[in-house]
Amino acid sequence: MATNAPETMSSLSPKRNVLASWGVNVAIAFTALRTNLMRSLLTMLGVMIGVFAVTLAVAVGNGAAEAVTDSVNRFGSNMAFVIPRPDDNQEFGPPRRTRERGRLTERDLRAIENEVPNIRAVAPQLREAIEIQVAGGSTTTQAVGSTPGYGVVTSQLAQRGRYITDSDVGSAARVVVLGETVVESLFGEIDPVGQKVRLNDVPFIVIGILEAKGSTFGDDGDDTIVIPISTMRQRFVGDQLAGPYDLQFAFVAFQEGVPLDKGKDDIVKVMKARYRVKEGEVTPFTVRTTKEFVEQTNQITGILQAVLVSIASISLLVGGIGIMNIMLVSVTERTREIGLRMALGARKSDIRNQFLVEAAVLCTLGGTVGLILAWSVGLALSNYADFPVPVGLGTALGAVIFSAIIGLTFGGWPAVRASRLSPIEALRTE
Amino acid sequence: MASPAPLERNAMTADGAHPLVETRNLVKTYVLGGETIRAVNGVSLTIGHGEYVAIMGASGSGKSTFMNMIGCLDVPSKGTVLIDGIETGDMSTDALAGLRNRKIGFVFQQFNLLARTTSIDNVAVPLIYAGLDTATRRERATAKLIDMGLGERLMNTPAKLSGGQQQRVAIARALVTEPLILLADEPTGALDTKTSEDIMAIFEELNASGITVIVVTHEDEIAQHAKRRIEFRDGEVIEDVAVENRIIAQPREQGV
Repeated sequence: MATNAPETMSSLSPKRNVLASWGVNVAIAFTALRTNLMRSLLTMLGVMIGVFAVTLAVAVGNGAAEAVTDSVNRFGSNMAFVIPRPDDNQEFGPPRRTRERGRLTERDLRAIENEVPNIRAVAPQLREAIEIQVAGGSTTTQAVGSTPGYGVVTSQLAQRGRYITDSDVGSAARVVVLGETVVESLFGEIDPVGQKVRLNDVPFIVIGILEAKGSTFGDDGDDTIVIPISTMRQRFVGDQLAGPYDLQFAFVAFQEGVPLDKGKDDIVKVMKARYRVKEGEVTPFTVRTTKEFVEQTNQITGILQAVLVSIASISLLVGGIGIMNIMLVSVTERTREIGLRMALGARKSDIRNQFLVEAAVLCTLGGTVGLILAWSVGLALSNYADFPVPVGLGTALGAVIFSAIIGLTFGGWPAVRASRLSPIEALRTE
Repeated sequence: MASPAPLERNAMTADGAHPLVETRNLVKTYVLGGETIRAVNGVSLTIGHGEYVAIMGASGSGKSTFMNMIGCLDVPSKGTVLIDGIETGDMSTDALAGLRNRKIGFVFQQFNLLARTTSIDNVAVPLIYAGLDTATRRERATAKLIDMGLGERLMNTPAKLSGGQQQRVAIARALVTEPLILLADEPTGALDTKTSEDIMAIFEELNASGITVIVVTHEDEIAQHAKRRIEFRDGEVIEDVAVENRIIAQPREQGV
């Protein structure tokens, strides 16, 4: 008798249809949720708010990072900026000499263009806020004095009319290319190309309209005008500059695929030689790249996102505790049912799974609603507030899976407690 | 409808080579308020295949505790229970769950049906734990309910059924896994006399078809239907006799 016992035992445990029992558990879960509808909805609300907050926090962070990358890409991604300012960001450098001033001239830029390899275009710049006057009114905008290279570097050429040319620069011509925002505010429906305007009372001819850029973070890329750099120097900013060839700013765009770190090193090397900067001395100029800019900004938005998500996670945690609370209530209420199911052959794992599935269903439903809400708010913000809040597929999947995990985590203990009940004790419960 | 194939395990075990239920020196003690109570105090007995046994005794006599142990719902403090020759003492809780599922059908005084759940789904519960698929579960549950004369009540929830009907759903549920033993704990305790008679008629029929029926009751009249009567007092068997002048319950018109 003892010898054939194991054989008989195994006949008691035929292969069970696992999928079928999960399906049953989902059905039981929905019945339980329907039975206590209000309670279930309130519990779901907790998870819903949590998932909503976390999803939106993730999306806001992603949106900020996306906006940075986007604005950089729109501006031209493979680029270095040269600024006539002592580089106070140098590590281990000696203290700055007090009277040291920044240097950057057109000759420096020409040297860079000639000596640094793989440059696509350079754009020297002088910038000034200038009032544009027409017969019907006036507006003040950011004027950029530059060369034809500026259009290449910023990928913003003329959509109509023409861009400034080398001969405009050579002759310091009084010609201007207008951004769309400026056109709209001054001309409305009238074609401005060929029209006369006054810039700070100096007469100019409109030669073209810039391609539309749109705006990023409320910064309107079309609220600008471009004039020849020579004209800018002669007419507007010459007296503010230290030398006749000084620049306020320069862009150096590299060919696609050229490593920016190498490009930056090359520029620094050329500039250091020109200003005879010795080892360990602070350079009178600063070189930054779009890559550094994106990295720095992403670091900041990353921290911002982490803080936001942490705060939002607290509400998800509270939602999870709500789930645990309600599952404990549910287990207590249904102790007799648990006893009955055990008497009818339910194993520990059957009971545990039943309550786990119930918790997971609660959380996943709440989480899905929260996700849909976050997605809607994100869409509204993207469309109406001009701030991208993308709830992507990854975020969405993550949110739903995460809420199911919350359910399993916080539903786990009540479920295990239920499965450890003794069948007879549970059956005796009134 | 083609009758569903019987669950395969019965072919292997229903050989009748050993007693269906065997207890050896069964003891159950509780500690209550620092005092040890021997609810069942050294009971050894055997119940064979096809028997119809009434377990009698006043409340507190140990009859329910004894029943819970042979039903594998409760674990003995000492001694052993063998079901169909299988030693249950060293079985895991999951193995015991499997044993209950396949060999024992329970009928309770309070019916213990799941509320807001149809007759079919109630009857199909044990089949979930037997691991059958939905279609098979429904098919077998329906067949058992029709056997119990509830073909018209398949989709009713317990709230829409009379007490007698509810108990018949419960009996269908107990029988749906084709168990060897039907364990009924005060099955008529919540029913009127007429309905009780119907339930006893069903038990009579089931026993005639070969199922071992064990009824726990404190009512002499109910015990009088059984073939053997075991009486408990203070945790011990004081009487174990064949029933004389048995009452044979007559099946009434179905559909109360």
